[in-house]
Amino acid sequence: MAVARSLRRNTTITYVLAGGLCIFFLYFFFGDTSQIPSLPNYAAPKQLLKSKDAASNPLSPPSLPFRKPAKLAEGEAPPRPPVVHYHMNNVTTTSDPVGNRESILILTPLARFYGEYWDNLCKLSYPHDLISLGFIIPKGREGNLATQQLQERIQVTQAPTNKNRFASITILRQDEEPSVLQDEKERHALSAQKERRAAMSRARNALLFTTLGPTTSWVLWLDSDVVETPTSLIQDLASHDKPLVVPNCFQRYYNKDKEAMDVRPYDFNSLIDSPTARGLADKMGPDEILLEGYAEMATYRSLMAYMADASGDARREIALDGVGGTALLVKADVHRDGAMFPPFPFYHLIETEGFAKMAQRLGWHATGLPNYFVYHYNE
Amino acid sequence: MLPLHAAETEKMNRHGYGGGANGHAGGGAYPLSPTFVESRGRTFNIRPDKYEKYARPTHTSLEAEGGEIGALTRRLTALAAILLLLMIFLPSIRPTTLIPALSLGLFSAGEAFQIETVRYYDLANVAGTSRGWEREERILLCAPLRDAAPHLPMFFSHLRNLTYPHNLIDLAFLVGDSKDNTLSLLSDLLQDLQAHEDPKAAFGEISIMEKDFGQTVNQDVESRHGFAAQASRRKSMAQARNWLLSAAMRPTHSWVYWRDVDVETAPFTILEDLMRHNKDIIVPNVWRPLPDWLGGEQPYDLNSWQESETALALADTLDEDAVIVEGYAEYATWRPHLAYLRDPYGDPDMEMEIDGVGGVSILAKAKVFRSGVHFPAFSFEKHAETEGFGKMAKRMGYSVVGLPHYTIWHLYEPSVDDIRHMEEMEQERKAREAEERERREREEKIGRVFDVEGREQWERDRKAVEEAQKAEKEREKAEEKAEVMRAEAEKRKGEAAEGAAAAKAKAGDTKDVSNSDSDPTNGDNQAKEPKANEGSTSSSSNPGSSPSPSPSPSPSSSSSTIKAASESENQLADLAQKEEGSVAHVERPATESGGVRLDELEHDMRGPVGAG
Repeated sequence: MAVARSLRRNTTITYVLAGGLCIFFLYFFFGDTSQIPSLPNYAAPKQLLKSKDAASNPLSPPSLPFRKPAKLAEGEAPPRPPVVHYHMNNVTTTSDPVGNRESILILTPLARFYGEYWDNLCKLSYPHDLISLGFIIPKGREGNLATQQLQERIQVTQAPTNKNRFASITILRQDEEPSVLQDEKERHALSAQKERRAAMSRARNALLFTTLGPTTSWVLWLDSDVVETPTSLIQDLASHDKPLVVPNCFQRYYNKDKEAMDVRPYDFNSLIDSPTARGLADKMGPDEILLEGYAEMATYRSLMAYMADASGDARREIALDGVGGTALLVKADVHRDGAMFPPFPFYHLIETEGFAKMAQRLGWHATGLPNYFVYHYNE
Repeated sequence: MLPLHAAETEKMNRHGYGGGANGHAGGGAYPLSPTFVESRGRTFNIRPDKYEKYARPTHTSLEAEGGEIGALTRRLTALAAILLLLMIFLPSIRPTTLIPALSLGLFSAGEAFQIETVRYYDLANVAGTSRGWEREERILLCAPLRDAAPHLPMFFSHLRNLTYPHNLIDLAFLVGDSKDNTLSLLSDLLQDLQAHEDPKAAFGEISIMEKDFGQTVNQDVESRHGFAAQASRRKSMAQARNWLLSAAMRPTHSWVYWRDVDVETAPFTILEDLMRHNKDIIVPNVWRPLPDWLGGEQPYDLNSWQESETALALADTLDEDAVIVEGYAEYATWRPHLAYLRDPYGDPDMEMEIDGVGGVSILAKAKVFRSGVHFPAFSFEKHAETEGFGKMAKRMGYSVVGLPHYTIWHLYEPSVDDIRHMEEMEQERKAREAEERERREREEKIGRVFDVEGREQWERDRKAVEEAQKAEKEREKAEEKAEVMRAEAEKRKGEAAEGAAAAKAKAGDTKDVSNSDSDPTNGDNQAKEPKANEGSTSSSSNPGSSPSPSPSPSPSSSSSTIKAASESENQLADLAQKEEGSVAHVERPATESGGVRLDELEHDMRGPVGAG
């Protein structure tokens, strides 16, 4: 304690410090306060955002990540959003999306959360920093549960320490309650179909038009109950370089006759139109819709589900008139031109089939891959 | 001295019993030995800190070393303090450059921590209400641009003037196929806008989409509004609008506002005004001002209309890809247009249900676009772009409303015909001006060439000539008058002769004659006199009647003549009274001489002539 004692004895340094402190206090009280805290944030720099840049402001496309806003001092204005340019001429959609660093938006209307779905998503071999995810979840108890389960998985996957996290994830909660119970039997009842699918269309459109960013090249629609896909799904579908590409959606089940696991077709919405269907449509009222898979309405349309040949060429293409939404890769330009999921009978078609029709009216045609499979969850 | 005692006294020293303070040595509860008291002197001093037993030895080698270190530390501390103070006062010497350099390794690992990847939105919060500015509802303002550089400054003045909180407005532009400097000008103007010193002037998210569609359609007025070009033009416009909207709409938007850049006049409160109606889609009326020679004003946007039976029937006859465009003679649809229903003094809040929508200024709830309504770039129910948008919104059950009496004004761009006409007018004006200038020059030249010095003399001469002419005229007049007088005098002479003959029979006749004699003398009577004479002659057509007012006019005459007659009689009577003197004077010669004295009469008559 020699130093302390000597300091106590020799008071000159105390006086110096006290004097300095006094000056500091005086400066603190009477100094020009306006000079200290106001850091003018006038500068609104011109920016150019490309496929996977992080936006500098939270006000930015949801398909891009953004920098967390800095903690603001008291009275400090938040930085003004910059003027951002997007060179949409340079947004390409080619058969080599990885090589051209094309970003993809995976959109999922989520009613129930399946862990297998998330696992499958994380296994995709497409560079995750080029993948943005968008979910729309209905209101209500079931939706809350799904949101909670999703967020638990997101927290793990999107942790900053995870090198393989997705570029961005957007979760939307729907503004309307689901009108019909999403029960497996009820869901497929003919009478409930129109209302259900109209609501589904609105949810899909809301998700699409709020998350589609100016840098997005591709949109992959993937249902929340698609639990198994090839890991190279995106590259495989994109390599066909078609505006709309649909793989064949099957379901794995336990075949009691064979006493073994087997597959069966699931999605019957990918189809080729028939004269019978056209004749039926002509006789319909403006608000009636054509549906597939119901005995009441024999349309004789060719369904891609039945064209599958497991041993055949996986790259085989067929032209389609209607598409299913379980898995569907679309060039973003198709959506940008206005092709959406009509929530009303459009040429007596609704939702995904109506979407294919609308794309057709805009000059984009759908392609099916009957021998390329994705698998649906078995309830 | 006993050792025990000594030990006791040492211990005693710790307690506050000062002998001196008590007044007597060794007093109190513990008597002190006199030797101790003496050794200490009379004052008992307690210094517990200086208690020798615990005191350190004062001079050791260690202490000396410690002092040196202490001095060094002291100096360093002082230096650090001064440096710290300097750093507080002068921010420039703070080692800011050092920190990032030192922490580079630390923060690069944390770069991922700085990036946020997850966003959560509840669409129920962005439904859009009638009082959005209070609920902080965000608006997306969309403007598709093409070769629009001349209109941009005007558009930005409109933006600055908007009263809706600017931080809640996100701006989105799509610039495509522009051949002028639209893009660079837009970028500069936006940066100025965002860097405005007033923090309330800055807007929210600002995005500029650069996309060329490779359209071949010209954007000038004539080709833009030609009928043949309409369908494909509308489709490409729709495409641009859809691209812009799909790239710019966010889950945070409650409203979407579409605005053309070439709107010249619009209320600053237009966003609030339209929002207040709380409709899904709402449009104001759009007119445009015209030059005076074209009528002053004109409805501009004919795309806001109500559907008609005729149009529906027409639509059924057209093929799948046909597009009905409004405002062209090719398709007579007989639809009620919003534009034509305008009353300048009407209630601006009046609403009208419409089916087609014009794109100059549309405010729509974002949920309309979220549910999939867009601008069809194909023939949707025989319509495209904004009209198809209205149709599709109706199809999905949304309310589409127009305000017929709430007007904004589109810029007037003269058409080719108008330009030609204006050129003609300009040429006419120039010709007129040239003519005028020529005339003026000629006058000046005349003034310059001819002698201006002699002008005074010339004027004087002219005056003299004029005066001479005047005098000549007056003389002629006087002569004429004299001639007339003479003639009258002669006539009177004859009458006087007659009178002289009749004088004996009646004196009243001379009175009449004397009356007319006095005519020239009395100006006032001059006008009345002939009448009076007439009256007298008419009333007293009978020469035998008396000069006194006639007792009864002829019963056959009308009331007017009666009046005239009575009037003239009155006047006659007045005159008779007034001029009794002169009458007497005239009467005299007649009575005195009994004949007519021409000399006197002549003299009488000449008098007034000479006086005149």
